[in-house]
Amino acid sequence: MNAWLEWARGPAFVFCFSFMVMGLARHVALTVWETTRTMRRAGDKSLPLAYIARATLAWLLPARAITHDALFTATSVVFHVAILIVPVFLAGHVALWTRALGLQWPAIPNGVADVLTILAVVTAAGLAALRLTAKATRAITRPSDYALLAALALPFVTGFLVMHPGLDPFGYESVLLLHVMSGNLVFVLLPATKLAHAALLPGTQLVAELGWHWPPDSGSRVGRALGKEEHV
Amino acid sequence: MSDTRTKHSFYVEQRTLDATDRPRKFLEAFAAVLEHSSYHLPLDVYSRASARCGRCAAECQLYQSTGDDQDIPCHRSELLLQVYRRYFTRSGALSARLTGGFTLTDEYLDTMGEAYYRCTACRRCKLSCPIGIDHGLVTHLARWLLAEIDLVPKALVVATREQLEGVGNTSAISPAALRDTCEFLEDELRENYNVDVKFPIDIEGAEYVFFPAVSDYLLEPDTLMGNAAVMHVTGGSWTIGTGNFDGINYGLFYSDRMMERIVRQEVDEVRRLKGRTVLIGECGHATRSAWFVPTFCGPGAPPVVNVVQYTARQLREGRLPLRPDRIEERVTYHDPCNIARSGRITEEPREILQAICRDFVEMTPNRRENYCCGGGGGTVSLDEIRKFRTGPMGRRKAEQIRATGARLLVAPCANCKKQLREICEDHQLDVEVVGLHDLVLKVIDFGEGRS
Repeated sequence: MNAWLEWARGPAFVFCFSFMVMGLARHVALTVWETTRTMRRAGDKSLPLAYIARATLAWLLPARAITHDALFTATSVVFHVAILIVPVFLAGHVALWTRALGLQWPAIPNGVADVLTILAVVTAAGLAALRLTAKATRAITRPSDYALLAALALPFVTGFLVMHPGLDPFGYESVLLLHVMSGNLVFVLLPATKLAHAALLPGTQLVAELGWHWPPDSGSRVGRALGKEEHV
Repeated sequence: MSDTRTKHSFYVEQRTLDATDRPRKFLEAFAAVLEHSSYHLPLDVYSRASARCGRCAAECQLYQSTGDDQDIPCHRSELLLQVYRRYFTRSGALSARLTGGFTLTDEYLDTMGEAYYRCTACRRCKLSCPIGIDHGLVTHLARWLLAEIDLVPKALVVATREQLEGVGNTSAISPAALRDTCEFLEDELRENYNVDVKFPIDIEGAEYVFFPAVSDYLLEPDTLMGNAAVMHVTGGSWTIGTGNFDGINYGLFYSDRMMERIVRQEVDEVRRLKGRTVLIGECGHATRSAWFVPTFCGPGAPPVVNVVQYTARQLREGRLPLRPDRIEERVTYHDPCNIARSGRITEEPREILQAICRDFVEMTPNRRENYCCGGGGGTVSLDEIRKFRTGPMGRRKAEQIRATGARLLVAPCANCKKQLREICEDHQLDVEVVGLHDLVLKVIDFGEGRS
């Protein structure tokens, strides 16, 4: 078991974490590259930048969205806040970074982490329940949407048990192994699934606007390429 | 003649039914568009980031009344994104090789044809998408690709053909008929208001060259007389060109290729007349497509102004003389999606209405968040789907109008006006649908000299 744990915390973690960093960086790089190219070719280079900035901020900090669909928005916001804060600012995690690379940043008290962890699990279940009960959402949901919620909740469930061995019916080391490996899985899933929105979201409002900024002769070029320039 | 509606809910041309090898041709068109236009960027981001939360459904007026899965904006966009992923991304090609997966078929294309004409591309759902997906953009692109395999409503193609290859405008009005109509409108103004207002034709060097929805010359004389009256009292330098006097651009609804040609024709006419500015009449889509002038004609192209913006500026600067008597009946205002969704024209019409009406009330929601009239995206031209437009698509609008208790409904858009009149008829609303300048005309002070 110890050897497995060492492997999970060592090479497997390094691989999965690097996969995430490089994968998300690739998403960003591809999008920046394509954005630059689209902008360079656009006939009309004027953009409503103030509006784009406002819309971007409004969805990165979606306080206003709560007026439209309070239950879903609140659940989703709490879920996002919890899953972003706990992994980064848990004292135990910070200590691991300090030991490995000498990096250090402030940690949150373990009590706060406990509350956020419970919230992460509860809201993940809530989001799944909302998916099941909202007719429109259920209709467009694929099995992977439930699987991703489960994959995201797993490191929090196991993390909670690791922090509270008294509540743990399975044994500390096996749960710790599961915790590390499920965290590793999330790292891999981040760039490979819709979770990529973690890196893409800051650019989507700009991208939506740029989709309407075409090259000056885009229409006639397509006509020529298809051999039907004069075809109405 | 056989009913071409057996396969689609709208009429199509015979060649639509005769088309063969459509999946291959669709993918060829898709490849050409991805290479030469700007859709690759949004499709790529949307196909990677779409979270499928379903919030868009709650905002869609069609889904609100049908509750039908096919009317969920995200579901509709997924139809095209699936084709994109399968045929234009490496991971899609790989998973197709491993699992068999999705293949583009004729039936799938027909499903897309129905789905993308059940959407008016009003873009309201974009406001509620956490990921920022512009489903209206996806509809716009999908319709273009479908048009390249001739899957397009007959009414749209026939009008565009008349404009680009026929008489030169969508209503087939000849220059001689235009002159007659303008003289008739001048006579009307003289008789009703005792004022000598001109519709200046082919004047070189005018500041503004005027492009209303050409159907206004047939259907909306009060709007045009109001436009001319405002130009008259404010001393505006304007003209109507006989070479091209149609602001309508159905390219916006089904083909960037057509849109580019129509926009260029507009600018050519302004240059022929040595005019300086494109002046668009009361028409939402004509305005939005003219906003693509810098796209297709570069930064040196003439600026574009909507006549509502012109009038609001004159009012603000104190150059629009109004009589003290106002419109007494309760008035409400419908924001056309094509000018309001982007927030570009929302306040100007309200400034004017507040100045000329005693009882102006807003419908809720309004401005950027307003509901589409239900006939957007060119669907208002499809008379054969009126039941759908005023029924499931228009129900929300009818409720909105009824809640205001207004007698007059102002919509500065030819398409919205036609649709709203049909909604009022089909929902038994005792409301008169008018243009903004129809009301301005009633309260303009032509002064003592009157000429």
